[in-house]
Amino acid sequence: MKKRIVITGLGAVTPIGNDVESFWQSLVEARSGVTVMKSDTTDELLPAFVANVKEFDPAGIGLPSRKLKMMGRPAQLMLAAAAEASRMAGLDDNTNESLLKRCGIVVGVGMYNADISEFVRTLKAAQNALPNSSAQIDVEYFSRAAATEMFPLWLLRHIPNMVAAHTGIMLKIRGVSNTVMNGCASAAFAIGESMRVIERGEADVMLSAGVDSRVNSMSVLRYLKLGWQVEGTDDDPATVCKPFDQTAAGFVSGEAAGVLVLEEYRHAVDRGATILAEITGRGAGNDAYDVVRPHPQGRGLSRAISQCLKQNEQAMPIPEVVFASANGIPDFDSAAAQALRSSFNTFGISPSVTATRSLTGHTHAASFALDAIAAVKAISDNIVPPTINLKNPIDDFDFVIDEPQARPVSTAMVTGYGIGGHAGALLLRRCEK
Amino acid sequence: MKKRVAVTGIGIVSPLGCSVETFWKSLSNGVSGVRSISQYNAKGLPVKIAAEVTDFSPNGHFGKPYEFNSSLSMCFDRRTNFALAATEQALKDSRLSIDLLADANVYLGAGEGPNSVELISTLLAPLLAEDSSCDEARLFSSPLAEEFALHDMLMEATVPASLIAKNYGICGEVMTSLSACAASSQAIGEAMRRIQNEECQIALAGGTHTMTAALDVLGFARLSALSPGNGDPKKASRPFDRNRDGFVLGEGAGMLILEEFEHAKKRGARIYAELIGYGASSDAYRVTDMHPEALGAVSAIEAALNDAAIDPQDIGYVSAHGTSTLENDRSETKALHTALGKYAPMIPVSSIKSMTGHAVAAAGVIEMIASILALNERVLPPTINLEIPDPECDLDYVPNKARAANFDVAMSNSFGFGGQNVALLVRKSELNG
Repeated sequence: MKKRIVITGLGAVTPIGNDVESFWQSLVEARSGVTVMKSDTTDELLPAFVANVKEFDPAGIGLPSRKLKMMGRPAQLMLAAAAEASRMAGLDDNTNESLLKRCGIVVGVGMYNADISEFVRTLKAAQNALPNSSAQIDVEYFSRAAATEMFPLWLLRHIPNMVAAHTGIMLKIRGVSNTVMNGCASAAFAIGESMRVIERGEADVMLSAGVDSRVNSMSVLRYLKLGWQVEGTDDDPATVCKPFDQTAAGFVSGEAAGVLVLEEYRHAVDRGATILAEITGRGAGNDAYDVVRPHPQGRGLSRAISQCLKQNEQAMPIPEVVFASANGIPDFDSAAAQALRSSFNTFGISPSVTATRSLTGHTHAASFALDAIAAVKAISDNIVPPTINLKNPIDDFDFVIDEPQARPVSTAMVTGYGIGGHAGALLLRRCEK
Repeated sequence: MKKRVAVTGIGIVSPLGCSVETFWKSLSNGVSGVRSISQYNAKGLPVKIAAEVTDFSPNGHFGKPYEFNSSLSMCFDRRTNFALAATEQALKDSRLSIDLLADANVYLGAGEGPNSVELISTLLAPLLAEDSSCDEARLFSSPLAEEFALHDMLMEATVPASLIAKNYGICGEVMTSLSACAASSQAIGEAMRRIQNEECQIALAGGTHTMTAALDVLGFARLSALSPGNGDPKKASRPFDRNRDGFVLGEGAGMLILEEFEHAKKRGARIYAELIGYGASSDAYRVTDMHPEALGAVSAIEAALNDAAIDPQDIGYVSAHGTSTLENDRSETKALHTALGKYAPMIPVSSIKSMTGHAVAAAGVIEMIASILALNERVLPPTINLEIPDPECDLDYVPNKARAANFDVAMSNSFGFGGQNVALLVRKSELNG
């Protein structure tokens, strides 16, 4: 018989709150996390919006500063979220050797661009070594300067699997460790991989996470120049993220870490863990279309949703709410809407739809994890958080706009979709004994 | 009942050649692929050697620039082109009809693409002021900003896998694992599980990476992980030798076509071998060092043996992770003693990294391909440059010369930077001689 998988812990560090409760409160009260970007080397304001994590002090993680120094921002955000999740799940007794050996981790990551400050010393040294002022720094001048000026542990900050490695070390977990990258749906795939490991009996408990930090100028520059990020800083920051709106002009790049503790149902019951929700379906697909553009009908997402709803073996596979992946890029929103529309028609359902990225900005590889956390909270509180800035919707779904909707939520679907045509869907429901 | 998993196609791009035939010829003749870096001017680097792929030219299909809009287009990076070429080879080799691939899965171990230090330098250097502060606001109006944006986008780790999906119309689950040196072994193991558990009948599993660009060499050199390569480059990678002094960075790609055994048999496919065991674990020790008692490695090997339901004495050859660092080779030797017990001294072990260098995310699949070829050719590839054995490395490492051996099962180990460990077991197919 297939194993049942439940959620027993959550952790979040987000642009709208640095723990699960404050994240959820901000969502329900519709507080936006968008601000104007500040320079990394000086404190001046830069001409772009970001959805950054505020007032985050890595020292709060409780590790010595020499260890924090070798971590990139994604690893630091992750450790704080993982610590919260492991406390909530009661996994923080790190002397329980038999449990730790049967506990693993899969992290969905993004790409962590260097802070400009990481290059300043090297570039300055290379510039000073140039034979004349019109010469340009080439690979040889860069290399000579970097060989002495580059931070010796630079690479450790930037290797993507270090996030999982640091987390595993902090929590002393010894089972399977994997790091996956599937664009904005990365966390959906991390959860899918974690579920498989438990289903196969290779672990009892898995930390599944999504983490990304794309709020420095090199990251934001990319999205501005590709036309995916809202331009300028003239408007009220809270009004610029408009998923599913006809006037949407892009996303605001963000950062976050979201962690879910997945556990085999019997194992959770036997150790007396608090069960927050059950996962009853998952699906995945790919557009097979383009590396940076969505298939116009959202082919990959349709496949993922259909697989997710079909896989659900319990009697009533009807999600009352869908957490949608729309982020404000018109192409992606339209493709996502078409995939939702065709899936709703196929399955004859008309759930409430909400897009949390209107408040959180686009947290990329973390975004699906944040929506999964929100879905768990929606089920436990019977509240659907609102979408803001949605005045002229591109489709007539039952959107939850501006005000939270109090309604019974026993089943929620989370969808993820993004560059590379990667799509994932997850069905969560209140856990019945 | 678990389904059986056949390997029915192989593709490779490596420093030893860009076809299965040339790769095997070099391997079995003990030829080193390590050379002075030739892709760019390496004069300023502290380490000037690498195992580069030298006889690769992307053909018209893969070399076509990616067009983002009318003014912006760019060619894919080496890692992406390697992956596409290896996939094309493997699919041709398997003689699978492309229309069978719509529901196939792709699982690729990869890394991000190589950063261009010249592009970063020319973008950032003009912003530096005399006092080493940086005028970050001007970055957003740099004439190079658009070029950087597209370059940066195409560096994303998902790009190779997304392009494979696009080229062959693959709408199933398309994954990228970033677990560093273990990535492609993990990809093979997870893809194997998907076929065993009937999630798909065909999976493309492998890896691609290039870690020979200036910033990669600098990053690892700053960590003192690389062999300085002061003498003959061909002698620099010397796993298990007393005078080893670090690893040599490499690059390449490998792709396996995995197929449900009966599906392969029915269509009369050539079955190279059968994947029979997969085990994964993490060390939870330190990000840069293996556990001194190699506990994680031992549990991965034991899990793979359990999974395949075979005993240590059934193993006829071990393809070692064998990086040529002081520490890895000793810990790995210890792990083999612990996991294989009294049989360890009787089982030949070799490290082809002595010839291929360390292709990081692609290393696992390249070594798996070597193991499969060794099974079929009945020849063990040697560990070259093993001149003076390290007294603490006391196994049979097949020193310097290939050796004839008729055996049934090979094990391939991958132990990632950051503490992820994977062991895979592969068996000669009864349908193939």
